[in-house]
This record gives sequence, C-alpha cells and structure tokens, in this order.
Amino acid sequence: MSAGNAVKIIRLSGELEISRKYGLRAALTLSEDAAPVLLDLGEVTYADSIALTELLRLCVDAQRSDRPVAMVIKTPQFARLVQYAGLAGAFKIFDDETAAREYLAGLTRR
Amino acid sequence: MPRASQLHLHCPAQSQYVAPVRHALTAFLEALEFERQSLEDITTAAGEALANIVEHAYVKGACPAECYFDLRASVNRRGRLCLDVCDGGLFLERAPLPGRGFGLRIIRAIAGELTIDTSSGTRVRMTFDCKK
Ligand SMILES: Nc1ncnc2c1ncn2[C@@H]1O[C@H](COP(=O)(O)OP(=O)(O)OP(=O)(O)O)[C@@H](O)[C@H]1O
Ligand SMILES: [Mg+2]
Repeated sequence: MSAGNAVKIIRLSGELEISRKYGLRAALTLSEDAAPVLLDLGEVTYADSIALTELLRLCVDAQRSDRPVAMVIKTPQFARLVQYAGLAGAFKIFDDETAAREYLAGLTRR
Repeated sequence: MPRASQLHLHCPAQSQYVAPVRHALTAFLEALEFERQSLEDITTAAGEALANIVEHAYVKGACPAECYFDLRASVNRRGRLCLDVCDGGLFLERAPLPGRGFGLRIIRAIAGELTIDTSSGTRVRMTFDCKK
C-alpha cells in the first residue's frame, strides 16, 4: 500500500473568509483516526485571518496526536497573508500536491 | 493627467456584507489600474478591518439598525490611497484571544501608515503609496 492511500485529504476552495467561519471550523476539525493530513488549498482564491485561526487550530490539534500536516497553497494573496501574519514557520506549505504528499510519505516512512 | 477618485460604501455590520464590499473595492482599484499585488494587499487589509467591525465593534443584542460599517477610499492624483474603515461601536482594548490577533498585524505589514481613532466609534485609517 502506498503511503498516499493513508493520507486524510481536506480540500477547500473559493474565498475562506469571515462569512464562512463556522463552515471552516467544521471542515477543519479532525476525526479521531491517526492519518497524516493533506490540506489542499490550491483552489482558494482569497483568505483572511479567520481562515488562519482555523488552520492554526487544526495544526495544533494534529500536533497533539502526532499527525503531520502539509498544506498546498498556490494563490499569491494567501501565501503573502501567511507571511504578513508571521505564520510562515507555523505551517508546512507546498505549492503542489505531489511535493506535499512526498513530504508526508517521507515522515511516515521514518 | 490621472484624476482623483473616491469610493464610499455603507452597509450593515454583518459578515455577509464583507466580501461584497471587498469585491467593490477590488473593482474600484482595477478601474484605476492598480497593480495586482498592491490591489490584493489593499483589499486584504480592508477585509481585516471590516471583519474586526463584524466581530468586535458592537455588543451582542445591539439594535441591528445602528450597527453599520463604512468604507471610504480616496486616491489622489499621485496614486496615494487613503482608506478609512469606520464603525459606530466601541473599540475593545484587550489582549487578543489565543490563536488570534492577526488582523491588525496583517494591516500593519501592508499599509504604509495605520492610525486607529477611537474618539467617536472607531476609524481605522490606512494609507498606501501604490504602484499602479
Ligand atoms: N472595529 C473594532 N471595534 C472594536 N474592537 C476592535 C476593532 N478592531 C480591532 N479591535 C480590537 O483589536 C483587537 C485586535 O484585532 P486583530 O484584528 O489584530 O485581532 P482579532 O480580530 O482579535 O483576531 P484575528 O484578526 O486574528 O481574527 C481585537 O481583538 C479587538 O479587541
Ligand atoms: Mg481581526
């Protein structure tokens, strides 16, 4: 079985902003299993601080149960938002899904 | 010679109005031929100031008719943009909750200048010297 099969994938698209606050929280809440998490945010067209808070929450929860998280971010606005918020070191960000999967597979192989 | 331009929007302070106001600001800056990155950064800063009004400015149970936000953008002939985001609520002076407190930091990283005037409601004034 390839490590890719065991990855929990969460895909979000469109604008991740204040009017979607509760939907984002629900979408970014982890189930009990132990799979590594791939957040595919490549189709996100805009994000704000509310989205950052929910992403941070997911990362903290995942860390507690030792689950690695990789994020795919392609939109320049979103990538700059993370920098402006000072969160570049808090997230593991990739600009394509293959690289994110390889990172997660590398961790699970160890 | 480029002309000075203004945009003024006034809406109920509810989350569903934040994106439409941000989109209107985007269209305004596109019409003025702002460069993509400055345009996105300015609308990001505006989005944070508007979200703060929805989340913090008015106490729960306040009369909805009195809860509004107001956005004014004015661009002078030299391409300097002044953006005022105002409300009639009360500025909440407190330490941000854990995992929060990004909005003003994001605005500070983007805007050339930021002033917050809380003498009557809150007025967040951001200025940007823009590449067009
Ligand atoms: N328009 C406003 N009315 C009342 N209080 C405000 C307003 N704007 C900001 N504040 C206060 O300033 C604090 C800091 O704002 P900031 O945007 O940095 O963080 P936040 O909104 O708490 O969290 P985040 O932006 O990460 O979602 C807020 O928690 C609030 O107390
Ligand atoms: Mg905020």
